[in-house]
Amino acid sequence: MSIVTPTRAAESPGPFWRRAHLTPYWLLAPAVVVTAVIVFLPMAQAVITSFYDLILFRPNASRFVGFGNYIKLFSDPVFWTALWNTVIWIGLTVPLQMGLGLVTAILLNREFPWRSVARALIIIPWALPSVVIALMWRWIYDPNTGVLNDLLIYLSVVQGAVPWLADPHLALYAVIATLTWQGFPFFAVMILAGLQGIPKSQYEAASLDGASSWRQFLHITLPGIMPVLATAGLLRVIWVANSMDVIFVMTGGGPGYSTHTLPLYAFIKARQNLDFGYGTAIAVTFTILLGSFVAVYLARTMREVEK
Amino acid sequence: MGLLKKFAAGLAVAATFAAAMATGSANAETVRFWYHFDNPANPMSELVAKFEKANPGIKVEAENVPWNSYYDNLYTALIGGNAPDAAMVKLFAQPRLVEMGALEPLGDRINAWPGKADLLDNLLELNKGPDGTQYYLPVQYVVLYLYYRTDMFAAAGLKPPATCEDFRDAAIKLTKAPDVYGFGLRGGKGGWDQWGAFVFSQGGALKPGGLTNPQAVAANQWVIDLFRKDKVIPPSAPNDGFQEIIGAFKAGKTAMTIHHIGSSKDLVAALGDKVSAVPVPKCGDGRWTSYGDESLAVFSASPHKDAAWKWISFLAEGQNNVAFNSATGQMTVTKSGAKDWKLHERRFVDATVESLPFAHVLPQNAATSEFVNTAWQTAMQRALTGQISSQQMMEELNALVAQ
Amino acid sequence: MNKPSTLRRILTTDLPVALIVLFAMAPFAWMILTSLTPSAQIVSSGVSLSPAGWSLDNYWRLLGQTSFLTNMLHSLIIATGTMVLGLVVAVAAAYAFSRFRFPGRRLLMLQFLLINMFPVVLLILPLFVLMRRFGLLDTHFALILANSTVAIPFAVWMLTSYVGAIPKSLDEAAMTDGCSRLTTLRRIVLPLMVPGIISTGIYIFITAWNEYLYALTLGGRNVRPVTVAIQTLIGEYQIEWGLLAAGAVVGALPATLLFLFVQRHLIGGMTQGAVKG
Repeated sequence: MSIVTPTRAAESPGPFWRRAHLTPYWLLAPAVVVTAVIVFLPMAQAVITSFYDLILFRPNASRFVGFGNYIKLFSDPVFWTALWNTVIWIGLTVPLQMGLGLVTAILLNREFPWRSVARALIIIPWALPSVVIALMWRWIYDPNTGVLNDLLIYLSVVQGAVPWLADPHLALYAVIATLTWQGFPFFAVMILAGLQGIPKSQYEAASLDGASSWRQFLHITLPGIMPVLATAGLLRVIWVANSMDVIFVMTGGGPGYSTHTLPLYAFIKARQNLDFGYGTAIAVTFTILLGSFVAVYLARTMREVEK
Repeated sequence: MGLLKKFAAGLAVAATFAAAMATGSANAETVRFWYHFDNPANPMSELVAKFEKANPGIKVEAENVPWNSYYDNLYTALIGGNAPDAAMVKLFAQPRLVEMGALEPLGDRINAWPGKADLLDNLLELNKGPDGTQYYLPVQYVVLYLYYRTDMFAAAGLKPPATCEDFRDAAIKLTKAPDVYGFGLRGGKGGWDQWGAFVFSQGGALKPGGLTNPQAVAANQWVIDLFRKDKVIPPSAPNDGFQEIIGAFKAGKTAMTIHHIGSSKDLVAALGDKVSAVPVPKCGDGRWTSYGDESLAVFSASPHKDAAWKWISFLAEGQNNVAFNSATGQMTVTKSGAKDWKLHERRFVDATVESLPFAHVLPQNAATSEFVNTAWQTAMQRALTGQISSQQMMEELNALVAQ
Repeated sequence: MNKPSTLRRILTTDLPVALIVLFAMAPFAWMILTSLTPSAQIVSSGVSLSPAGWSLDNYWRLLGQTSFLTNMLHSLIIATGTMVLGLVVAVAAAYAFSRFRFPGRRLLMLQFLLINMFPVVLLILPLFVLMRRFGLLDTHFALILANSTVAIPFAVWMLTSYVGAIPKSLDEAAMTDGCSRLTTLRRIVLPLMVPGIISTGIYIFITAWNEYLYALTLGGRNVRPVTVAIQTLIGEYQIEWGLLAAGAVVGALPATLLFLFVQRHLIGGMTQGAVKG
């Protein structure tokens, strides 16, 4: 996207509200108004709540505590566990989804007889409700009646049934695998589209120069889909960070705290224990952390994308 | 901009439409009722039709709310000022609801109600609120007991265990890991009621200091040892919920588990007469099992309290209650209904009735909700996986109770 | 490039694709098998692998005994409404972001991301109170509004990159000919954006179709989308696996069919977006 539009001066002057420099604000107004009313009002209210000691079933005992909830939060060991889990959660899920999506997209971009069928089938995991996915995978992982252990034992990969979701060292990774399955079609579709935009002539030229397929991938394919990867990756980081329904149904955050992520912790505190003051403090802290990450990410990546 | 105008117009239309709907329903005597059923065919509509026929002035809008969000949603609706008039509720929620001032006392209405005499003895007593007031009207109940595989016990030459020692003994003899385990423990959400049979029976109690006394810590250690040392419990236990323990029991992966009569139909369908039940074993000098309840309540904010009461009392009367319970698969609360109960096999009804003398409910305070909802399983799971000791687990839970 | 031999193609393309399709489909295939096994049989002996044990019993029960078709209709209204509302406001916003440089542009773009960063669960209660005040609870409109906020940020960001890919010289030529900004948007840019709009629309549709928490809280007896209906099959002591699987299969149909239908446009559309980024 290049610099300032040159046409501004050409437009005729009119009443103040019709002036050209206000046009973008008029265009943005509907989107901003809808989101402001539906999200920012409640969000502002939530931020205020985080300064109160508010337990919903004791509305009369509510009192202002300033940063009390935040101070409590930083000395809460569960917060740090959940923060670390959130880092692993995002750090593994998004690259795995992206990697698998990339491979899928490159394969689906080749010519083969049943390509359109394969493309349609690939998106099914994405089109299923999260709760169904979570229940389905919980069943698959079940050590007593599930199919995964049977399969692995049959293939002699493991000796005995592995309690995937009951082992605190495995549970988080088992859930990450499920989310990877759910989310990779999104990347596959986005990247597939990006691949269409790379002119065939570039590959032909490289082929003539004797470049290996790996070098072609590195020097033509990857730069060509970089903008898509950057935008899709960013949106996915935010989405994955916040998605807790799959974890909640699969493990409820357990065993112990081993699959607690920050949004899940906020959910458990606020929705289940009705401790809204503390729950919103977790949510606000999480939003600030994620926001800083996104800001850094944008500063580094989007500069290239918007060139 | 045309689109904008359309959008604004749409907003206005929707708002007036909704407002008209709201005032429209305020004039009629409509009772909004929330419930959760495991039965998807939803037999509630028949009960509603029968009730509306008998009470022409009242309309009942019964809404089936998904169980796993039932209480979240109920609290949101109560606080947001859009609660139903009446709802199905459990005892563990009562302290919170009372503290919120959300419940309508029902004592006078129950006393004036002819159906009171038909209620099973003691149920109203068990359902009393933390302040001694009657807010809940019982509608069904279950008691936890021990399911066991008759064929496995016969093959091993064992009798169903009567004490904790017998229980551990049998579990060890029946375990042939990794194919069969002696006992299916529910380590995930809701498993506290199994755990209670071993710990609350031996001096454990949900009161300050009630969990940290040496007997309670030792009893808890005994449960942990079943999993970690004796290995008579499947390794999946820390994340196992109801589905998993019943699934494993049906599949022959476990020889015993603790649950209530609600699952007997499924188990008989899968195992026939290879499954039977006895009361939970006696541990130490005590015996404790969990009384699982489902009651009805009217909310204090309701403008139609009389109509709401008519509806909920209708559900607790003789044949209506039997119809209600044949949908939920649990036990009727009426004497007349219990007389010729055909819904469950006799052996499971007997085990339930035999368990009643030592069936208890948890103490009625706000900490109980948190214990049941989240605290027990996070502590138990870490103890089972060796992250904390029995002592640490009990101290953590004690801190919650002592708040 | 030389045309690779069929064998080589099978080894390097068909086989890996088949593996990935298997990975994507296997759990879903299990779901289909479950939906074809009568409930009583699931309880007693598990899922039937042979066609002899299959029947459409669960589907008949789902459509006959439950209100699933009505729920589908609610979902359809909400998902379509969200798609339309989301696209209308997002197209305008995307045009502004890509065609103008104005004070606060970056900030406004960032605020759209910020929207999706705050955990939704904590917005529910204030939103519930807000909707009640406007009398919108249990209406389709409430859910369309709420779902739009989840969808708009994505739509704005993706569409911005699509509009950015359309050469500005086209707009300028139109405006030199005397068209106003809005006429230019309607006559020149919109037609070129169609593929981008379709692809973003699909995303919004799927997102709104699968949304649960808002649907549960802001909906109710009158407005009950598929996700809530499916949840009621997951009981306290019992999961109706047969009905649940049938519900999941039927529930996944509209999105999958829609995708199958517009796939060609989607791919074409993304191409344009990606060329420029």
